[in-house]
Amino acid sequence: MGGLWRPRWRPIVFCGWRWSHPGSPARAAERVEAFLRPGWNGKGDAEWGLRWLGTWTRTSPPARDRAVQPPRRPKSTNPFTRAQEEDWRRRNKTVLTYVVAAAVGMLGASYAAVPLYRLYCQTTGLGGSAVAGHASDQIENMVPVKDRIIKVTFNADVHASLQWNFRPQQTEIYVVPGETALAFYKAKNPTDKPVIGISTYNVVPFEAGQYFNKIQCFCFEEQRLNPQEEVDMPVFFYIDPEFAEDPKMVNVDLITLSYTFFEAKEGYKLPVPGYN
Amino acid sequence: MSTAMNFGTKSFQPRPPDKGSFPLDHFGECKSFKEKFMKCLRDNNFENALCRNQSKEYLECRMNRQLMAQEPLEKLGFRDLINGKSEKK
Repeated sequence: MGGLWRPRWRPIVFCGWRWSHPGSPARAAERVEAFLRPGWNGKGDAEWGLRWLGTWTRTSPPARDRAVQPPRRPKSTNPFTRAQEEDWRRRNKTVLTYVVAAAVGMLGASYAAVPLYRLYCQTTGLGGSAVAGHASDQIENMVPVKDRIIKVTFNADVHASLQWNFRPQQTEIYVVPGETALAFYKAKNPTDKPVIGISTYNVVPFEAGQYFNKIQCFCFEEQRLNPQEEVDMPVFFYIDPEFAEDPKMVNVDLITLSYTFFEAKEGYKLPVPGYN
Repeated sequence: MSTAMNFGTKSFQPRPPDKGSFPLDHFGECKSFKEKFMKCLRDNNFENALCRNQSKEYLECRMNRQLMAQEPLEKLGFRDLINGKSEKK
């Protein structure tokens, strides 16, 4: 043992050091072996021996020995416990591997959550609204709130590159929440070529826009107009009856629905939020 | 789409329509129903509640001519108009 720490010692000095140095573990091992020898009936019973052994732990190896770390070896010399320690070490490594794998898995899941949620929204058709299936059952059962009359005005815009004549057919309409309503826009293609347009809409005030539900309209899909063709474009909508119960909407009497048409080019996709 | 670029203020989120998009009525098959509806609106000072019969007829025309998916009228909010036309004018 001592040879590892004092590599250049000569054997004689080595022996001397071994015998004289009280803290060396080799010496301690020899001391222990003295008790283990059969037929020993030395200074006393086992208790004395243990106490004597206890003194060895107090005279721990001096600091300079502790500074040099020996290579990792099993803490016990007993072959049975050594096997157990090896087993524990192996198990610890397995557990550590599992924990690290779980951590990496969590990190990957947090990255994967974004496209997965988008897929989920597309398949279930929720599209950002937290309540599923609110559409048709709600319309069936909703009761118009007759005392709250709201004026809905209509606006129509066209992008500069689109040469359509696009306008609403009524300037305003008076509805109540909970009642389905129909409104018309008209679009004419005065050019000599078929033109494909795609539209989006906007509702002002913004907070009222969440109560404005369109059952069917002509937005977000390509609409093709042949040369010199004029069509009516209906919008079928209703205002959610909960509008009347929202304290923030108490002063809202005017809602403006505004549609804007763009020209649909090849590969052009409207940036609809939540859908890519 | 909202053009207010303020961070933190609520902006408008356009939602796609519940039942999708109306196919275009290229041949004007339901134009007469639309004209009836518009006339009713103009006569009644643009009150929607008084012209719901005409809007129901326009949508029925669309459904009959494959310009709209067939839906029972209750699901379109016309439950009170199906049972009796005496409910509303």
